[in-house]
Amino acid sequence: MIKDAYGHSVKSFQVRVQRQDAPGAAPYWQTFNVEYEPDMNVISVLQKIATMSRTSTGKETTPVAWDCGCLEEVCGSCTMVINGRVRQSCSALVDRLLEDNPREITLQPMSKFPVVRDLVVDRSRMFRNLQRVKAWVPVDGYADMGAGPRQSRGEQETAYPLSECMTCGCCLEACPQFLKVELERKPNESDAEYKQRCGEAYDTEFLGPQAISQAVLFNAHPTGKMMAGDRLDALAGPGGIQVCGNAQNCVAVCPKHIPLTTSIGRAGRAVTIHKIKQIFGGS
Amino acid sequence: MDAAPSKPTDSFFLRHEFLIRRLHSLCGLIPVGLYMVIHLLANASIVNGVESFQNIVYQIHSLGKALVVVEWVFIFLPILFHALLGFVFIYYSKNNLSNYPYRGNYRYVAQRISGMIAFVFIFAHVLHLNGLIHADWFRESIADAIGIAQFRPYNAASTAANALHNPLVMFFYLVGMLACVFHFANGLWTMGITWGVWVTPKAQDLASKICLGIGVLVSIIGISALFGFWQVDVDKAKKREIEMYEQRSKDGSIYADEHKLSQPLRKSGAGGK
Repeated sequence: MIKDAYGHSVKSFQVRVQRQDAPGAAPYWQTFNVEYEPDMNVISVLQKIATMSRTSTGKETTPVAWDCGCLEEVCGSCTMVINGRVRQSCSALVDRLLEDNPREITLQPMSKFPVVRDLVVDRSRMFRNLQRVKAWVPVDGYADMGAGPRQSRGEQETAYPLSECMTCGCCLEACPQFLKVELERKPNESDAEYKQRCGEAYDTEFLGPQAISQAVLFNAHPTGKMMAGDRLDALAGPGGIQVCGNAQNCVAVCPKHIPLTTSIGRAGRAVTIHKIKQIFGGS
Repeated sequence: MDAAPSKPTDSFFLRHEFLIRRLHSLCGLIPVGLYMVIHLLANASIVNGVESFQNIVYQIHSLGKALVVVEWVFIFLPILFHALLGFVFIYYSKNNLSNYPYRGNYRYVAQRISGMIAFVFIFAHVLHLNGLIHADWFRESIADAIGIAQFRPYNAASTAANALHNPLVMFFYLVGMLACVFHFANGLWTMGITWGVWVTPKAQDLASKICLGIGVLVSIIGISALFGFWQVDVDKAKKREIEMYEQRSKDGSIYADEHKLSQPLRKSGAGGK
């Protein structure tokens, strides 16, 4: 059992949640009293809160909304800011969190994405950014083109860690250069129109480590390489790699330990050469 | 989906963001960083004596009227470009050191703080010694009254030492100079990442140590210069400078220009106070 600073066993603890009722609404804090059980994670804490739907002062309230999927830290959807630091809530174990502070756990939505409700955020900017850098292998059509080019063991070993990205958003949340973009919905605006407007707003803002690293992954792929020039153009476009400020928080918070700063370094080198060729070589 | 990197409707800054940011990065090393190192090296010659420093200043001023062009094109304008854009970049960033107290994040924040200190220091320093406007009316009516534009190239050591004689001014110069050197050394490291010179963590660690070494070395040079000026005997230095001026303007190895002296010779006489 977890003990507090005075050596007493923890029977219950408080969970402070930053809540928000709708996109663009003002955020507010609510505190919940949760009974301690061994081996809980933040998801099970949120389940308990949903069952209670009652704050620590006994006031009835709506259940806190959150997102989750795989519950084994590979889908990225339950990412939130726990005790001030971004991580997945499924792998955030209560016993470990209470070792840091036996009284309280704070939960906040990621601050770099628009809040949908409570702890649920809209991460569609990350997928838009993957489109900006064409993070795919160009194999369209039905014709059988046979086996692709072989990849050496070394190439596989550099590519594999980059392919582990689950688009969770931790790197972007911790990046001091990646800023939130949130557009207010106009009255009578359709979903498609709003999405289009958001997409255009995202397109000139910083790509962030996630998309840069994926561009590097697909530029290293023997077939993906065919669009290398397009990807480098996107990396040097508005909001491209030049916005990186080298704080290197991304690599420190990445739950998959992806060598993001190495990707940024590789992309920086490739873009430098690409641009010099473009400007002075006429290509 | 169209992935055109930039659209004609984007602002000038957005359409050329890559070039502007990379120019900002390059500018920190060439010419600004390199100029700073040369400047500190030249100043450190004061450790060897008033004559050494004065001779270097003679060399710089041998450019004559072209000096002002060199100053603006290679020093003032690049510093202004680097600094003003730097402030814009700082404005469009969100520091989160309290939540993510990692080493890289400390350096990120320190780079921005040292840049801001460096800007204030350089601005004050240029006004304090150079004064930017070299016209007589400006000197007589404004500069002398408020204590700016104190440096005289043909009384180099004595005027510089005199300007630095106040311990508070000396402390301000020490802090400002060290902020500049930190910004330079750390900026050299991040520049290497930006341009793709050092890519892997191992390479970046090695580069970081080399940049630290460069930073320590340049700091020592800068501290030597300040220490050297602190030790100068102003009256003795002035006497020696006047002797040098009389001799070198006679043999024609420098441009005779009494505006570059503390006082015109005829009024005060050689060796005057």
